[in-house]
Amino acid sequence: MSTRPDLALTGEHDELRSTVRQFLADTSPPATVRRVIESPEGFDRSSWRQMAEQLGLQALLIPERYQGLGQGAVEAHLVFEELGRALYPGPYFASAALATNALICSGDDNACLDLLPGIAAGSTIATVAVAEADGRWDDASAIRAMARRNRDGWVLDGSKAFVPNGQVADLFLVAARTDAGLSLFAVDSTDPGVQPRELESLDLTRRLAELSLAGASARLVGEDGGAPGVVAAMLDRALVALAAEGAGGAARCLEMSVDYAKQREQFGRPIGSFQAIAHRCVEMLQRVEFARAASRYAASCLAAGSGEFPVAARVAAAYCGRAYRWVATENIQVHGGIGFTWEHDAHLHYRRSWASETLLGSTDQHYLTIADRLGL
Amino acid sequence: MSDQPPLEDFLAEAEAFLDSHYARRAPEERSRFQWGEGSDEVRVFQEPDPLEEAEAMPRIRAWRAALWDAGLAWISGPKEYGGGGLPRSYDAAFTHLSRKFDVPGDAALTVSLGMIAPTILRHADDRQKGEYLPALYRGDLIACQLFSEPGAGSDLAAIRTRAIADGDRWFITGQKVWTSGAHLADVGEIICETAPGPRHHNLTAFLVDMHAPGVTVRPLRQMTGGAAFNEVFLDGVEVTDRARLGATGEGWRVALTTLSYERNAMGHSAFGGAGILSTERLMQLVRHAGVADDPVVRRAFGELVTELRVARYTQEVMAERARAGQSPGPEIALNKLALSANMAGLGEFVASVLGPRLIADTGEWGTYAWTSVVLGAPGYRLGGGSDEVLKNMIAERVLGLPRSS
Repeated sequence: MSTRPDLALTGEHDELRSTVRQFLADTSPPATVRRVIESPEGFDRSSWRQMAEQLGLQALLIPERYQGLGQGAVEAHLVFEELGRALYPGPYFASAALATNALICSGDDNACLDLLPGIAAGSTIATVAVAEADGRWDDASAIRAMARRNRDGWVLDGSKAFVPNGQVADLFLVAARTDAGLSLFAVDSTDPGVQPRELESLDLTRRLAELSLAGASARLVGEDGGAPGVVAAMLDRALVALAAEGAGGAARCLEMSVDYAKQREQFGRPIGSFQAIAHRCVEMLQRVEFARAASRYAASCLAAGSGEFPVAARVAAAYCGRAYRWVATENIQVHGGIGFTWEHDAHLHYRRSWASETLLGSTDQHYLTIADRLGL
Repeated sequence: MSDQPPLEDFLAEAEAFLDSHYARRAPEERSRFQWGEGSDEVRVFQEPDPLEEAEAMPRIRAWRAALWDAGLAWISGPKEYGGGGLPRSYDAAFTHLSRKFDVPGDAALTVSLGMIAPTILRHADDRQKGEYLPALYRGDLIACQLFSEPGAGSDLAAIRTRAIADGDRWFITGQKVWTSGAHLADVGEIICETAPGPRHHNLTAFLVDMHAPGVTVRPLRQMTGGAAFNEVFLDGVEVTDRARLGATGEGWRVALTTLSYERNAMGHSAFGGAGILSTERLMQLVRHAGVADDPVVRRAFGELVTELRVARYTQEVMAERARAGQSPGPEIALNKLALSANMAGLGEFVASVLGPRLIADTGEWGTYAWTSVVLGAPGYRLGGGSDEVLKNMIAERVLGLPRSS
């Protein structure tokens, strides 16, 4: 059995990328992103519906058995790169990377049959609520939220934080403690025991929420006590999606810098003719190229079922997280004063990059995880 | 192609050839680094002991000749010059297969086969290709690269070595420096000034016989203490016009071709396996030093591994593009920038792991040997174009930024 990642891209891959890029240019250009992030929901529902109906992107990773398209991690990588470039502000990462992978990784066929078709169709916006006030996603012992059985099923109490797009989600996948250990539950947003509250968020294009659960009715997903493995598997996959988003965002920042360095003149010449600027742009290019390769390599490992995936996923997460933040930071520097204004898009990438590098675990945590997984 | 054998058949035949000529390596010998066993040398540059090297060369030449006779010396080369005419993936598959056998490495031929031969393939005329390419791949000839001069380093176009025409002959006089393997080479790709100007159009490339009268090769001792390079003095060395590589005045283009292969070769330097960048070797170093539980060291290890792996992933992605037919562009130099940064990072890591054991030799196996990384790292930022020169080149040719004036 060959488990080597296949790094070849086909004509279909190129077509998928250009279709997504064109769709985002039409429905979510920078001016539209600006407008919708000022709106109460923070994204545009009509383009979300179009994305599902015309492109089926929400269904991309969902197996055909659950009315999805059954595509692989490499296709998802291409889509996330494009969404990251465009700073797409809809709940795609929450629904298609976090929640979709949580359900798939749970191995709970009935839950998948009931819940994934709605996610695939875009009619259900789903997200995942694992972390609590301390922000840890990977530490089961830190989770306080409790689940108890009553005569109708399960009931949840507790509070969650840092829930991506929690304020607009229809469905929450919540990690809570039972007698058997940490377990995963599905909670409907219409349940009277569920109360999301939007948090003021650094990343204007992906808002976070907290979630209070007071006797919320819940459905067990997967095994009772089975959440640690499911969450760990989901995290690796979601980190690779974030890595691809970051690579795409960094590529966009580089373009902004290079375009500006060619056109902006100071001291009577384009600033890109100064080595201080030109070399900075080359260093940005290096991180962009390496970030794109790292996230694609990790995605290819996942698609091929390669034993390299657990390390490659964290390598991609560590590299891309830091690279995007560095490139977004230098993009502001290349632009000078205009880059520090509210009107310029540089700060939207800068905000996204800090949030993405931090959301699911810090770069240092990834480094430590790599050492663990290599057996040091 | 109808005459292209399936990869499995090709490999089966190649394996039969290897089996009949060379012993198989025990699996652990090729993949695992064993702490305390054998030499603890940390090889950063090719700086072999001259005597060992002289003994090794006949074996390397015999290996190339045997490969040639078996049709395996130039698997993806064009058939008209003796190549196998097969896809590059066959080349890579054979290289992978040959690691299972105790064959002489090709490291001494990196310049010859990785840089000069592809330059000849691109720029030489048919007669020269027929004359040189089979001889290079067969190991009958070994080539070196005569570019840098004491007065022309980063500003390579400022070359002063002159070639003066006299009928159909040229006479070359000047001094070259930083020439890897000149003492082993039979032929050198040399760039000479052949006209007073204009810049970049005044240079011509030749293939000069390194054994010709007037060629003097001296070892150059670098800051590591070893001598991986040479100085080459040329005093009225005669070459015929048949040895001219490319048109008169086109030497700069020829040089750029060789340089792009050099950066490619450097970025791809074979440090994998039990080499100095092997994860296994680094982990054993950390364990041996007794710091495997130190979170500061574990974090630094994770960071170093991240940088090394991403460099490898990037090379694999670029190699896949090359297999798909997109020839590597100037962005390939990004790999070389990464390598020089990673060598520096490796030095910092081993310093933090070893402490004083890095700065004085107590005789303990596998410790002071890492000093070669610390001493070699500055050379990586310079060789094959300094980091700064490469950044200028990438800024112009990849990003399209205006030339700095």
